[in-house]
Amino acid sequence: MTVPLQAEALDISFKLVPAIIVFLMMASFLVIGYVFKVADTEGMWVAGRGIGNIENGMAIGANWMSAASYLGLAGLVALSGFYGLAFIVGWTTGYFILLIFLAAQMRRFGKYTAPDFVGDRFNSPTARALAAFTTLLIAYVYSVGQARGMGLVGQYVFGLDIIPMIVVMMTITVGYLALSGMLGATKNMAVQYTILIVAFLAGVYVVGFSQGYSTILPQIEYGALMADLGREFSAPFVNQPFYIWIATAFSLIVGTCGLPHVLVRFYTVRSERVARWSCVWGLFFILLLYWASPAMAAFGVDLFQATTGASAYAAEGGMSGAEGDVIVVLAAQFANLPTWFVGLVAAGAMAAAIATTAGLFITASSAVAHDIYTELINPEATQRQQVLIGRGTIIGMGALVTVTAFNPPALIGELVAYAFSLAGVVLFPMFFLGLWWENTNRQGALAGMVLGLLIWITSIINSVLPNYIGALGAAAGESGALVPIYAQYVPPIGAALIGTPVVFVVTIAVSLATPEPPLETKKMVRQCHSPEPMGQQETAADVVGDSTSGGTPADD
Amino acid sequence: MSRDTPADREESTIQPDGGTEPAHEEINYLDREVNLLRPSTPFMRDHLKIIWSSFVLWALVVFGPVTLTALAPEMMTVQMPVLGFPLHYFLVSLGAPTGALILAIVYTRYRDGLDQKYGIDPDSVESTAPETGEATAADGGVEQ
Repeated sequence: MTVPLQAEALDISFKLVPAIIVFLMMASFLVIGYVFKVADTEGMWVAGRGIGNIENGMAIGANWMSAASYLGLAGLVALSGFYGLAFIVGWTTGYFILLIFLAAQMRRFGKYTAPDFVGDRFNSPTARALAAFTTLLIAYVYSVGQARGMGLVGQYVFGLDIIPMIVVMMTITVGYLALSGMLGATKNMAVQYTILIVAFLAGVYVVGFSQGYSTILPQIEYGALMADLGREFSAPFVNQPFYIWIATAFSLIVGTCGLPHVLVRFYTVRSERVARWSCVWGLFFILLLYWASPAMAAFGVDLFQATTGASAYAAEGGMSGAEGDVIVVLAAQFANLPTWFVGLVAAGAMAAAIATTAGLFITASSAVAHDIYTELINPEATQRQQVLIGRGTIIGMGALVTVTAFNPPALIGELVAYAFSLAGVVLFPMFFLGLWWENTNRQGALAGMVLGLLIWITSIINSVLPNYIGALGAAAGESGALVPIYAQYVPPIGAALIGTPVVFVVTIAVSLATPEPPLETKKMVRQCHSPEPMGQQETAADVVGDSTSGGTPADD
Repeated sequence: MSRDTPADREESTIQPDGGTEPAHEEINYLDREVNLLRPSTPFMRDHLKIIWSSFVLWALVVFGPVTLTALAPEMMTVQMPVLGFPLHYFLVSLGAPTGALILAIVYTRYRDGLDQKYGIDPDSVESTAPETGEATAADGGVEQ
């Protein structure tokens, strides 16, 4: 069940002013990044001293604002009704779990990429490589959703067919990545957040006001529309049963806590208190978008029905998946707003997708070049070799993402949710047990991660690949899944509801059955929970190393 | 670590097994086990009390309305006066995320209160690393 390729209702043609807005937006990210550029990591620490609660909260919001939040969320709410709310709940409330269990402890541990944390906590290059492989898979799946989003919206601005459009947009992304690398631009996330949230909220407020839906609080006023939108929009469990709702929300919640690009935001903060408060502010800044998103979906569905004269949910002439995915832009177009304004909303979506994809590609290239190639394959690797491997990864992944996005298996939001369920199954248990139970050891972590990867990959093979591979499709038959009962209880989008507890149990059981981790490691965990303040540049390993008379923690 | 502390230090609590828990300043946190289910210091016990109670509230706010909707759809889908939302839609789309934000604020305030109770000032440490963990502990004590 693949999704129709392009949004028929969208006005697809080249538009000069919106194209200029897209260009200006991307250029502003680069220029501001260049102006604020800091020379090296040491410099970043100094800059870091100034990063406070609110600024870091905005950075969390900027990292979070991908095509999935900007476009995909409203699309899911518009197309899947009450089920779409599982995504709103999952992508916001997970921050609370991150806050109470992980944020400050991670800050104290002092390692901010999944491979670094897992490698140091479990003293194992293999565990580090597994975490790097997981990070790579997450980046790939996540990027496919972004590529689909930027292709669909790009059509409104540049007017190409969908396949050349995706190619052009991905080329722009890699160009942006190269340019920001050359300029040494560190992203100014607070500015980026502000531009994106203004573009999104302007769309919601202007559509709501110009169409007479709302005045000052569209986030609540859209309630009055509910009765007109049809029961598909709000009636519970029409599109998906209760189990899938819970499984989806749960996967997104634990995925939020396992996603590498959120944890990295605690890197530059002054203290664990700032880590906590910036987590709170981050949730607030994210909510500015998530409160308004269902309102935009409701306006879009109502305008779609008024414009096309058909019910959005009719089998004939209803809203297609692609139209749902661009409902944010469609709503502005249907409201007959000026082209430059619709272009602004579209530009925000494209900028969000491009910036997110660029960030994911950097994460992936460092995972391959550093954590897999140098750690496992060629420990003697020179700087030059690492750079080459990193660039190769970006090109290879860019090509793979582009091709996959031509015929994606699901909506933007669902694609990104696959990545969350992977993070929730494999990385969340490692972070959680690693920080909250000192006896979690290398063997337990290896067993848990391998099992988690297996659960997620078999789930994808079971329900997603039959759409692409003829032989699997024939074997799957009518149901679309090789093993229907597995697809029912461990669907790719909600694999964590069963997967995460299973990984917890196996990790704990194996840790109990094998020798305890070394005392050094245990002390590192204890340092993460000690109430005593730490210096900004200190990691838990530093403190432990100092207190045991100068010994450095064993790397293996 | 043997430093004399005032006998009336409020952090020293009597353990159920009759032993006396040393005061916060006397605890070397690097020697205390970390186990979510078996907190080993008064600080950890206090912290987990806040964590678990806010976690339970969070679970109710996030999964309560949707579960009630599955159990009692008639009751939960009534239209709300004035706002026009069906009740379940409002509680899930606006209630759950906003509830999580409020709980996050409440948790963080209580957690700051815990720092105060134990006389910890997170800004007391300069960005240059202190020489040992012990020095940090002493700083925390002096601030009080």
